[in-house]
Amino acid sequence: MLRTEINELLTQTGPGTPMGELFRRYWQPVLLAEELPENDCPPVRAKILSERLIAFRDSEGRYGLMDEFCAHRGVSLWFARNEQGGLRCPYHGWKYDVTGQAIEVPSEPETSNFCANVKLKSYPMVKLGDVLWAYLGDPEKQPPLPEWEFVTVPEGHAFTSKRLQECNWLQALEGGIDSSHVSFLHSGNLDSDPLFKGSKGNQYNKGDLKPFFEVVDYEGGLLIGARRNAEENHYYWRVTPWVLPNFTMVPPRGDHPVHGHFWVPIDDEHCWAYSFDYHPTRHLTDVEVAAMRAGMGVHSENDAAYRPVANKDNDYLMDREAQRRGETFSGIRGIALQDSSIQESMGPIVDRTKERLVATDAGIIKARQKLRKSALALQEGVEPVGNRPQDQKVRSVAIVLPADQAFVEGIGEAMIAKPGVPQTTV
Amino acid sequence: MPRQLSVPAGVSACAVATTAKEAAFRIDYPLAAARNTRVVALDADAESIVRAAAAEEWGQARFYSTTDPGHELVTMDGDAVDLAGELEDSNTVVMVSTNGQNAEAAATIGAACKVRGIMTAGLVVTPGQLTSEALVALRPHARILLVPAEPDDLTELLRATRA
Ligand code: FES
Ligand SMILES: [Fe+2]
Repeated sequence: MLRTEINELLTQTGPGTPMGELFRRYWQPVLLAEELPENDCPPVRAKILSERLIAFRDSEGRYGLMDEFCAHRGVSLWFARNEQGGLRCPYHGWKYDVTGQAIEVPSEPETSNFCANVKLKSYPMVKLGDVLWAYLGDPEKQPPLPEWEFVTVPEGHAFTSKRLQECNWLQALEGGIDSSHVSFLHSGNLDSDPLFKGSKGNQYNKGDLKPFFEVVDYEGGLLIGARRNAEENHYYWRVTPWVLPNFTMVPPRGDHPVHGHFWVPIDDEHCWAYSFDYHPTRHLTDVEVAAMRAGMGVHSENDAAYRPVANKDNDYLMDREAQRRGETFSGIRGIALQDSSIQESMGPIVDRTKERLVATDAGIIKARQKLRKSALALQEGVEPVGNRPQDQKVRSVAIVLPADQAFVEGIGEAMIAKPGVPQTTV
Repeated sequence: MPRQLSVPAGVSACAVATTAKEAAFRIDYPLAAARNTRVVALDADAESIVRAAAAEEWGQARFYSTTDPGHELVTMDGDAVDLAGELEDSNTVVMVSTNGQNAEAAATIGAACKVRGIMTAGLVVTPGQLTSEALVALRPHARILLVPAEPDDLTELLRATRA
């Protein structure tokens, strides 16, 4: 249970809010790179942290991210022409470059210096991996570029998708932290999904449905360890890292690619679930990529606007027969939609004063506490963690350890991402 | 698999039911009984953390310390009480350790909870240390462990679970 004020503190991320200011200390995914596929391609609307922005790629391949609305009379620059080094508003022809600077105001005399004073608010945006990243905060506090492993592995090792989720970002994040739901909501997928099936770990998973949990506080966030019985005097551990504020990673299974998420606030009632898969030491196979494109694993089948085809307008294509047969536990197809359907059903912003948390929700309790403390500390001038390269070079781990070994000790360096070094997985 | 792509029309369909507007129709009634939580300190530093938490206002939570072998608990007022009796109508026990002392008491409490189907949680309050004696002592007996916990994690956990 949370008090109303704290629920509001954690869920509101618009400009000027404490959580919003915290988010503005991090590079965040703002678009998939495929949304701006070539120079002078159409501009794309990009709303993030309750700010309406327009993104484009100019004639020289430079990326721009700026206020969506023309400084003249407020027309959406989604209607703009992307031409010769800038976006030109179709209403009266004002033209802007990637920094938001007006470079032509046709109504003014040729030699006028009027446009030098017209600049749309703009933010830096860079391409890393399959993702375009933006930094919306104070330029003086801009952190180094992200170094998450899924954007630094060689070309062909990673695949990233995104889907719209019609609820607050925190509801979605909490699903990524809460490893106790996997034995229920996603049971049924372990054996059938081509991106999960066949690992030794799956047997431990199914052999012990009541895992123990350890929530370990570490520098960049939390490590949530779920332990299940393995052979004599050994435990099978699945370790999920959460890095502040909105990055989570799922522990690997066998030699399958490993996956994770960014839960990015669009506004207080919508978020993007960026879902990635990568393999540190090999290319993804054509079969794997085809499965990801088809919406398997953590991905989803989407329409052109990245809204899942199964969505709340069609009751998520609920299949009661599949539910009865046990093929899917919830009747919804695919892990991604199993998560988003139940999280959206909680309402756009769930009323956390009404929940009945139990001790095994300690991961969520602790994550909320860390978010709240970081947001409040930032107001006092204490810079947050999670935006430094050392926090981002993190891996999830699946491992069998002797029963008396602490998992942080047992996994040692396995949770640190190192180029070319295989993941630790069972 | 039948794939119905048509839009469900009913007023209870997801499209309507999950909106903010519809949330106003969620029926509103007080949450029933809070949890019946017992909090046990396993060493002297843990005792002062538990004592600080006990000073706040709680539903049905009760607070103790103990020493080996753990069959007896001591209330914050200094009264010795029987472990079995205190567990009678409890559904959650939180053990707090800072240094791994009284590991036998942790085992006694853990075993007593196990036979009664009581949820066990452990707080390992050893600042700055990820592995410690306290962790070794608690982990076999706690379904969920917080490592290393900060002193205010106890109140946070109790508040979140409406203890
Ligand atoms: S069982 Fe967890 S939300 Fe219902
Ligand atoms: Fe999930």
